[in-house]
Amino acid sequence: MPAFQLTVNGRRRSVDVDADTPLLWVLRDTLGLTGTKFGCGQGVCGSCTVHRDGKAVRSCQVPIKEAAGSAIITIEGLSKDGSHPVQRAWIEEDVAQCGYCQPGMLMTAAALLAANAHPTDGQIDDAIGEHICRCGTYPRIRKAIHRVAQGGVK
Amino acid sequence: MTSRRDFLTVTGIAGAGLVLALRLEAKPRPGDAPASDFRPNAYLAIRPDGTALLTVPKSEMGQGVRTALPLVLAEELDLDWSRVELAQAMPGPDFQHLGTGGSTSVSTTWTTLRTAGAAAREMLVAAAAQAWGVPAAQCRTEKGFVLGPSGQKAGYGELAEAAAKLPIPKAPRLKNPAEFRLLGRPTPRVDGPKIVVGKALFGLDTRRPGQRFAAVLRCPVVGGQPKAWDEAKARAVRGVKAVVKVPTGLAVIADGTWAAFKGREILATTVTWDEGPHKDFNSKDLEARMRAALDGPADVARKAGDAGAALKTSARVVEAEYFFPFQAHATMEPMNATVQARADGAELWLGTQAPNTTQERAATTMGLKTEQVKVNVALLGGGFGRRSGTDFSTEAAQVAKAAGGGPIQVVWSREDDFRHDQFHPATLHRLKAGVDGQGRLSAWSHVIAGGAVLRSWLEGHKSPGQAETEANGAHDIPYDIPALEVAFAEVRVPVALGWWRAIEIVPNVFARECFLDEVAHTLGKDPLQFRLDLLGRRGKVKVGRNEVDIARLRRVLELAADKAGWGRKLPPGHGLGIACHAYDARTYLAEVAEVSVEKGDLRVHRVTAAVDCGIVLNPTGLEGQVEGGIAWGISALSSQITFEKGRTVQEGYDTFPVLRQPDMPPVDVHVVASAEAPSGMGEPPVPVCLPAVLNAIFAATGKRVRRLPLTPGDLT
Repeated sequence: MPAFQLTVNGRRRSVDVDADTPLLWVLRDTLGLTGTKFGCGQGVCGSCTVHRDGKAVRSCQVPIKEAAGSAIITIEGLSKDGSHPVQRAWIEEDVAQCGYCQPGMLMTAAALLAANAHPTDGQIDDAIGEHICRCGTYPRIRKAIHRVAQGGVK
Repeated sequence: MTSRRDFLTVTGIAGAGLVLALRLEAKPRPGDAPASDFRPNAYLAIRPDGTALLTVPKSEMGQGVRTALPLVLAEELDLDWSRVELAQAMPGPDFQHLGTGGSTSVSTTWTTLRTAGAAAREMLVAAAAQAWGVPAAQCRTEKGFVLGPSGQKAGYGELAEAAAKLPIPKAPRLKNPAEFRLLGRPTPRVDGPKIVVGKALFGLDTRRPGQRFAAVLRCPVVGGQPKAWDEAKARAVRGVKAVVKVPTGLAVIADGTWAAFKGREILATTVTWDEGPHKDFNSKDLEARMRAALDGPADVARKAGDAGAALKTSARVVEAEYFFPFQAHATMEPMNATVQARADGAELWLGTQAPNTTQERAATTMGLKTEQVKVNVALLGGGFGRRSGTDFSTEAAQVAKAAGGGPIQVVWSREDDFRHDQFHPATLHRLKAGVDGQGRLSAWSHVIAGGAVLRSWLEGHKSPGQAETEANGAHDIPYDIPALEVAFAEVRVPVALGWWRAIEIVPNVFARECFLDEVAHTLGKDPLQFRLDLLGRRGKVKVGRNEVDIARLRRVLELAADKAGWGRKLPPGHGLGIACHAYDARTYLAEVAEVSVEKGDLRVHRVTAAVDCGIVLNPTGLEGQVEGGIAWGISALSSQITFEKGRTVQEGYDTFPVLRQPDMPPVDVHVVASAEAPSGMGEPPVPVCLPAVLNAIFAATGKRVRRLPLTPGDLT
């Protein structure tokens, strides 16, 4: 019998894995959703960020037994076609370099803007400060978030 | 002898349109096939549907090669940018030099890509002219079409087959940069749309039918081996399939990454290690050996005049010691490789900066011929030199061989990534400056002690060029000093060493530009003016193997200073610092940092960079690299790897801090317009950033930081 049920990107899924398996590995290895990235497994880099019931969480720190019953949105489900304002702003500001950390950044930015349509620089620092981008795309992440807040997305 | 023109040939494939094979390295290398057997190493194809396919011979790690290189081609070809498609090259007879590093991808391919694009364009024009019975000179091209004098119009796709039958122009006309329509304008990264929807595929995203996952339990001490272990408990973990011994340790193979990690964690509780000969290796003793090496024999990297004698007769000698620690790469995507071993060969999927070496070493370790191993190059979740290494791919090949069966993805945890990095070595620098009776700098001595990356790279061999490589950034000091000596005293270390973003130039320029600042202040001179005076107006100057254009270096120094408001009145607690470097004499860069130090807190308020990298291909890409390089440089002020009992003390981002959003300053990038051939920008912004910030700290506090990482004591 499938052990855990959850909704991922609007689709009900049943997964038969050990109760302590982090949501990250359920997404990547069991469900094949590799857009959510493994960066540290220590909850400090933010690469694995997804939305759980609308809040940004570190999927490497959420065991499946806790995720069961919740609605998960991953980068693949942020929009149907890449049209979410943060996705468009990210292209318009040419944010990504290697791109590996960006799905996590986008999920946090989307959650931040959903809760606070006009974040200050300090609020951006607080939210994105939980993430690491080794390429140093921070100035453009800030610009892209402000672009969305100002309605500047084309 | 291969001539300069041999790099273009036409490959006739019926129905494939016009396929030009081009060779990216005009100079033959030892071992290259003779010209009659010419094998090209990159392909341009114009298909019947008018799209162009370019095989990208460099790895994308964020530096933008998958955007910049095709742009060059599309420019000369007058192709619609949206109709260029990319394929990633695989190592093999056609692609023998796929290595990506040293900020060289643009400079080494620029002329070839342009010539290929221009030749193809002329052939398409000739085909159209023939069909229309008009002189080629009366035709022009625009966005994938040839336009004739009386309104004729034909798409490249329909002309391709006929064009392929025509001779290749010997010297196609290249555009004057003033005619560029794509180059020099901001073009967003080609992989951006896939990245933002989570569909960009990195090595770790490889998923093959029947794929298993593995984690290797390695001795935390370099060279250590498992002596005894009990597999039973690890095998009892749900999903764990096997435990196999490999040269680097014990591989736990499972049906998912988490099961492999969990099995390994349990296996670790049962293992007894033979820690081997390096179990006492530690940073403290190493530093004592480095200090002793400064007094011993050293290999000279550059010598001009007699610095020793000049120092003895100097009116005044300034002397200081600088220390730069071991560093990790800490790419966001941990090391990984997926390997499928088959009876007749093997296939790898991974992010690598060294596809050919990966192929060769995987083949050797699996007992295969090189050509039996296929290497698929994915996007790299950060490279920074770490993925020039082949340790992780060779290990994965060993795991796949030992385990047999279907494909296996070997995944490194973040802890593995820190413990078993190919570290950038710590260096200790002793600098001496002699000042004559008139207050002029008359002698300079810079001795560097530390591990040699190049030796580690050459698997233990010492190259004749070792001192020059390890002293890069120090031996090519651009200042006019009558007597000068730069030397490298090697100190052997047991851990694997590797290139880092901007290689040895980071520690060497840090020591050089901070010490120079120190000398300026000692002499009561303005650090900007002191540098300008020492640069003089000498034109092009030979330094070691490079020729530095002093005028270009002066220009960026003056521009950065001007834009940053050098000399302006600053708020209390603030300081400005400046530094410059001619990176491999190709990319010229100066940075001014404004910092404040208050109650032990360092804040970098702004970094103003002036750059001259020749013709700019893609301004948005260039500025991104400068911002990223400055982030890397600021980050390097606070991080270090240290060793105790043969193992790294740091094993996560908690103990190896990396710059985050709140500490990233605004970066102003000022580009010098140039007609020189384009150079690279991935690495050059890094080395200049550290001394600019540290010199600013001195300006703010009067405290000279000579040792990294920064400590709270440096900021009080």
